[in-house]
Amino acid sequence: MADDSPASHRRDPIKSSVGNVAAQRRRQNAVTVGKERRESLVRAKRLCRVGATGDGDVPVEESDMITDEEGFLLDAQTSSAVEELKSAVACQGKGAMQKRVNALRELRRLLSKSEFPPVEAALKAGAIPLLVQCLSFGSSDEQLLEAAWCLTNIAAGKPEETKALLPALPLLIAHLGEKSSLPVAEQCAWALGNVAGEGEELRNVLLSQGALPPLARMMLPNKGSTVRTAAWALSNLIKGPDPKAATELIKVDGVLDAILRHLRKAYEELATEVAWVVVYLSALSNFATGILVKSDVLQLLVERLAASNSLQLLIPVLRSLGNLVAGDSHTTSTVLVPGHEITDGVVKVLVKCLKSDHRVLKKEAAWVLSNIAAGSIEHKQCIYSSEAVPLLLRLLSTAPFDIRKEVAYVLGNLCVAPTAGEGKPNLIEEHLVSLVQRGCLSGFIDLVRSADIEAARLGLQFTELVLRGMPNGEGPKLVEQEDGIDAMERYQFHENEDLRNMANGLVDKYFGEDYGIDE
Amino acid sequence: MAMVVDYKHESSFPYWTSVCRRFEPDSPFFSSGNLERELLAKQVALDLTEDERNQLEKMIDNDASRSVFCPIVGCGARLTSLEDFEDHYAARHTASCSVCSRVYPTSRLLSIHVSEAHDSFFQAKVARGYAMYECLVEGCGLKFKNYKGRQQHLVDKHKFPTSFDFFNKAHPSKKKRLKNQQKRRMHKKDEETSSKMEVENETIDGLVSAVSKLSTSDSSPSNISFGRRNARGLTFVPRSIQPPREKK
Repeated sequence: MADDSPASHRRDPIKSSVGNVAAQRRRQNAVTVGKERRESLVRAKRLCRVGATGDGDVPVEESDMITDEEGFLLDAQTSSAVEELKSAVACQGKGAMQKRVNALRELRRLLSKSEFPPVEAALKAGAIPLLVQCLSFGSSDEQLLEAAWCLTNIAAGKPEETKALLPALPLLIAHLGEKSSLPVAEQCAWALGNVAGEGEELRNVLLSQGALPPLARMMLPNKGSTVRTAAWALSNLIKGPDPKAATELIKVDGVLDAILRHLRKAYEELATEVAWVVVYLSALSNFATGILVKSDVLQLLVERLAASNSLQLLIPVLRSLGNLVAGDSHTTSTVLVPGHEITDGVVKVLVKCLKSDHRVLKKEAAWVLSNIAAGSIEHKQCIYSSEAVPLLLRLLSTAPFDIRKEVAYVLGNLCVAPTAGEGKPNLIEEHLVSLVQRGCLSGFIDLVRSADIEAARLGLQFTELVLRGMPNGEGPKLVEQEDGIDAMERYQFHENEDLRNMANGLVDKYFGEDYGIDE
Repeated sequence: MAMVVDYKHESSFPYWTSVCRRFEPDSPFFSSGNLERELLAKQVALDLTEDERNQLEKMIDNDASRSVFCPIVGCGARLTSLEDFEDHYAARHTASCSVCSRVYPTSRLLSIHVSEAHDSFFQAKVARGYAMYECLVEGCGLKFKNYKGRQQHLVDKHKFPTSFDFFNKAHPSKKKRLKNQQKRRMHKKDEETSSKMEVENETIDGLVSAVSKLSTSDSSPSNISFGRRNARGLTFVPRSIQPPREKK
């Protein structure tokens, strides 16, 4: 809260006033503002500060610092702007339309000035019904644009504020049509994207009101900022958890083709939003995943991963790849066949992600590798002999916890043959021996010591592989050297019964009374 | 032998199986990536500290179980992060006996150890037939007249490993293990009768001085302060300590 730099988007605490009450209010304000700011950062909604057409005459404030006094002033100005609008809307006759546009513009400016627009004041003054009126058919493009812009920013904040847009939804959807001018359609799409980003309930309302088909069509052209906004709005609209929107989207004529086209050729910002659409298509809809896997999309994703260094783009592209691998066995069995060029390409880009500085990329790349390593023996051999293994071994000892867990999955999967029916899976001794010799055991014993149940389980399971599978009965000795016995003995007083039994079982079986006798 | 609880670890150990893992889009697995998306879109990604990021992530991730709690029975302390667990464990669950250096995960267990291993008054009561060996599981409350009885109870009722040996908390060295094996074979018939706990490898002098410096390594208020009822009895240690006897 102490950061006063102009680049920050924080509100300055109260500058004036003295005394205890003021100090208390100051503290409270800081806490609320901090919470408000945090909430606004994580939202899937976006404020429109500069118009879709790049409105030249609006001086966007450099700093977002608003003092309390300035805040009160803004609220007051907003209320009177709404009043202005009210009288403008009631007007008939010649200058009426210009009056309306001016009033709308003024309100829009007030709602675009800062990171925390005076939405509450606007709603209280009764802005919504007026804005809905301004969206009526036959209104000028300028009027529609300004009204949609106001609604966009009203919907960009708190849940109850977004919900206030309900009466406006049918009209916003109507103006997405191909008869509308592009800037108007785009601004309406933006407003709807914010509404969709609020939650499942509003998404369902939008879907039932037919928002999906027109938005999907807006994604088809090659150029224009409209395509990007539409893609973003769609990604919010289909994010579920109900898969039916995703399934519906892939069925729309031309959508698959557009997705592929944009992934192949579009500039990075557009490709990013389209990639997020693919993320949700592949995570939610088996139908969509099936269609995508049979298209060129995997190749395109690999190419993007190889060529780009923009974290914003890499995240959804990597995740799409991951979802397609995880969601459909066809991917690893038929497309990513070991030895084929595309498979090598996939491993290469995953290695690139493992090498990156970004935590998310490392973690999700390891996840994808673990799923490929869950494939056939040839898949495991392919990964085992790649550049990935030395990287993974290093990450297992040095990376943050969540990455280490995913790495553990990869390495363990490399050591175990594909599951074939009941009973314990066979070991791939060559891989196990090599990885253990290269020092992975201590990383797994570390996981045994972790407080995370899943990680501890992985650690114990790998320990079992070592105990069982290392040749010449070396396993127990190696585990003992890494303080594995100690780590397992901790479980005697652990509250999780499964882990207790696992650990106790191993200690009993491999370190019982006869341990170390025959030497 | 009567009750052998064999939890059939052969068949019930959940072996590593290589399977594909899929996550829903709103899974906590994807939280950090989702957060990154929104931060980058608002162009504030670089302005944040690690702490602020963690805070924000907790907001997205509705999964309440993200709070990590210490899993040691009876502890339940909230940990600030998984990375903290090791430190917490070292600070709170490595109570070590200053007499013989054995380490225990709770001060209660340490105190039980001290009574059983270093307290002749305890042994005296055992000799007179009192049920002094308490169950190690907090809340169970049962007490036994001999070590073996308690041991069996732990295995049968609380599924402790059959190799668990409270007295020998530290895993013995190879030499030691061989010695144990030999002794076990030679004195098998004494198993039923022998129930005395002896202090191995302690010189009597060392014991007297060490006992007077008894302390635990964790900072929680210790209930094994030197003012225990049998403390004074320990000054007669030279008489009441048994010479090293056969091991079980």
